[in-house]
Amino acid sequence: MPTDPVPEEGVPAEEPGTAEPGTADPGALEPGAAEPGTADPRRRAFLRGALSAGVTGVVVGAAGGYAYRATRPAPASGQAAQENAEAGLLPPVPFHGKYQAGILPQPQRQTAVISFNATADGRGELTDLFQTITARARFLTAGGTPPPVGIGGPPSDSGVLGPTVVPDGLTVTVGVGSTLFDDRYGLASRLPARLTPMLPFPNDDLDPAQCGGDLVIQLSAGNADTVMHALRDIARHTRGGMQASWRIDGFASPPRPSGTVPRNMLGFMDGISNPDTSDAAQMDSLVWIAPNTAGEPAWTAGGSYFVVRLIRMLVEFWDRVDITEQENMIGRRRATGYPLDSDSIYAVPNFALDPTGDVIPLTAHIRLANPRTPQTADSRILRRAYNYDRGIDQVGDLDTGLVFTCFQQDVKRQFEAVQTRLIGEPLVDYISPFGGGYFLALPGVLDRTDYLGRALLA
Amino acid sequence: MPNVRRAALTAALAVSAGVLAACGGSAPPADLVSVSNGGCGVGWHLAGPGWHTFQIYNGAAEGGEVDLIDPANGAIYAEVNGLGPGTTSPMSLDVGSGSYAFRCLFDDYDPMTGPTVVVAGHTRGTPAILPITSNDLIAPASEYHAYVATGLNTLVSQAGALAADVRGGNLAGAKSAWLTAHLTYERLGAAYDSFGNFDDEIDGRPDGLVGGVNSPQWTGFYRLEYGLWHGQGAHELTSVADTLDHDIRALRTSWPSTEINLLDIGLRTHEILENALEFQLTGHDDYGSGSTLATTEANVQGTLELLAILHPLLAERYSGLPAVYTWLDRLQMLLNQNKRPNGQWLAVSGLSQSSRQEIDAACSQALQELAPIAAITEPRLT
Repeated sequence: MPTDPVPEEGVPAEEPGTAEPGTADPGALEPGAAEPGTADPRRRAFLRGALSAGVTGVVVGAAGGYAYRATRPAPASGQAAQENAEAGLLPPVPFHGKYQAGILPQPQRQTAVISFNATADGRGELTDLFQTITARARFLTAGGTPPPVGIGGPPSDSGVLGPTVVPDGLTVTVGVGSTLFDDRYGLASRLPARLTPMLPFPNDDLDPAQCGGDLVIQLSAGNADTVMHALRDIARHTRGGMQASWRIDGFASPPRPSGTVPRNMLGFMDGISNPDTSDAAQMDSLVWIAPNTAGEPAWTAGGSYFVVRLIRMLVEFWDRVDITEQENMIGRRRATGYPLDSDSIYAVPNFALDPTGDVIPLTAHIRLANPRTPQTADSRILRRAYNYDRGIDQVGDLDTGLVFTCFQQDVKRQFEAVQTRLIGEPLVDYISPFGGGYFLALPGVLDRTDYLGRALLA
Repeated sequence: MPNVRRAALTAALAVSAGVLAACGGSAPPADLVSVSNGGCGVGWHLAGPGWHTFQIYNGAAEGGEVDLIDPANGAIYAEVNGLGPGTTSPMSLDVGSGSYAFRCLFDDYDPMTGPTVVVAGHTRGTPAILPITSNDLIAPASEYHAYVATGLNTLVSQAGALAADVRGGNLAGAKSAWLTAHLTYERLGAAYDSFGNFDDEIDGRPDGLVGGVNSPQWTGFYRLEYGLWHGQGAHELTSVADTLDHDIRALRTSWPSTEINLLDIGLRTHEILENALEFQLTGHDDYGSGSTLATTEANVQGTLELLAILHPLLAERYSGLPAVYTWLDRLQMLLNQNKRPNGQWLAVSGLSQSSRQEIDAACSQALQELAPIAAITEPRLT
């Protein structure tokens, strides 16, 4: 592993990325903590809608308070938040904790998902790799000044963020794929019970070159340069230990109109509903792998199954479909996000009152994804979708779509159950899943002496 | 021998001085260390160990360089190059226990060393590195010059045999002779810039030429490779092989009077493999023979030769040197796994993803470890 003659980590800024005075920072809230300033019920509803939503995902009832544990500045001061984001002034997201810090927050404006294969030679080097990733993530998420090198080498930092690295809300989420548990590192006996290569579904068109990987790293932040800087930094410190296999960049659109929910490239609001991330009990039952889970190796406690699906949207075809057909495929109004049976974006669709699908067709995406029955409640996922846009195809159509990610306790019980219900939905003609993978997002890093994967590698 | 980088700096200084005179001065920042013809950091102090950024202000009438040195041996902790008159530039370092003094190197004056500040205790900081001077690099350059001369003698005979094979219509033999000669050339990598136009003629790519691979201006090893592995006949390729043979002889003839730029010696320690990663391990420079792994291996040999020559200078200056050898050894081992018993090599396009990623990882990590050498061996004034 690298043996730079200079300290690996920079000096953390004293007050990295301090927000503008007067800007509320709800990022300090822990899951389940009381929401500050709940006097205005309208704002409360707004937050719930804007920040815990989902159209094409698994839609859940909006019971249980607002779902904002997030680390973005409150959109009530939306203008200030946007200005902060553009200025790279989002506050740091605390890196240490029982869980990885990038899992629960709402999608940030920019993200990148990069899959790597481990090239480390043996368990010792693999441990070095995870320790190095941890050290870099610890520095990058806190921000600070990169170390001076004297005359002994090139600069220790790319300089992309200027002389002082701003945190800009960066989160670094690291997962491991099933292939890491082959015979190379002696980890076969520690394979998580539900971790397999990604299952191909009948409507998929998977490109092996854009699937799977020994490790995945998701980098999310307020700005694209922050994400790129983090990727370059992590890569330069880990060149011998892992090699990138595929990568996709994503973005979350601003809500349009303001105060609603960000839209995907189909023009529909995406993520209107989701499990309530401020509800610790719900997170414990849907997202986190609990200690002593039957069949799971002990090291997985505090982790979460992390599914990545790269889904092309055939937007030219979609744009030639009339609005009624579009809305029937989704089950919501395109303009407002309302379920077809309701006059409110956050209303729970009442499928029981519509057993034959006269209002919301039986094949509508929101109906198949989440039938809202007691039997399907435990298949809900924590959905985190981003848009992607990366050029054109051979006939000049846009290569754009969705970087779908989700977190869950059990990939079989949750993602695969949902995806199985969606097989053959009318929407499949307009989308084409081509890549991604199943990973296990590692348990969190407790403190400065801990590192990602310690329990796995110990 | 000329010192290109320094000369360029001097020119740049003249320009910036003019601009500054027009703009006027601004308030001096805190933590200012002032240097001038009359003194080099007079009255400065250090509170103690830790990261520190000085603002170096040049109050002299001309540009210059300011180093923070250990006055005991002249080793350099940090430096600011090209500091124009009237300008201020930051100098950052991690201050450890030791002795510190500023040294000023102005264009028209003798070097000047200011007062010494001692930081007590046993704290490690940015290490001071003994500067390497142009004088220090003359012997390595001579040694490298001789290495290239020997290689060129070998190359001339191999290129002659290659041309004879093509001329005689023995294209199977020519393919084998081509690989042998090309690898000999690739082992000389460090001298690319010194070869000047010869390198374009001997080892050029068709990329920048109108017509690409069909351009009549495309000559050299890759042109011949393209022909030999794309069914072109002896008649068509004889002139290509003869031109290559001729150009290699011309290079050997000119070599004794060719100087090696002293700056290049350190730079090439990573640039050879930067090129290998960009053009060989990507498969870009595979014009049919599938031998880019062999080329990379030859480039590793060239890099190791340079390192051997520089070793006496690097051993006491670069703590990462063992890691350099670790990764170059791993890279060489991984590459050689793809050499078949018959002397042919697997093409990168035929490697499994895992083999390819292992090679790319080893090359990339080797480059990361090699990178500091260029900074350390940059010829400095003392």
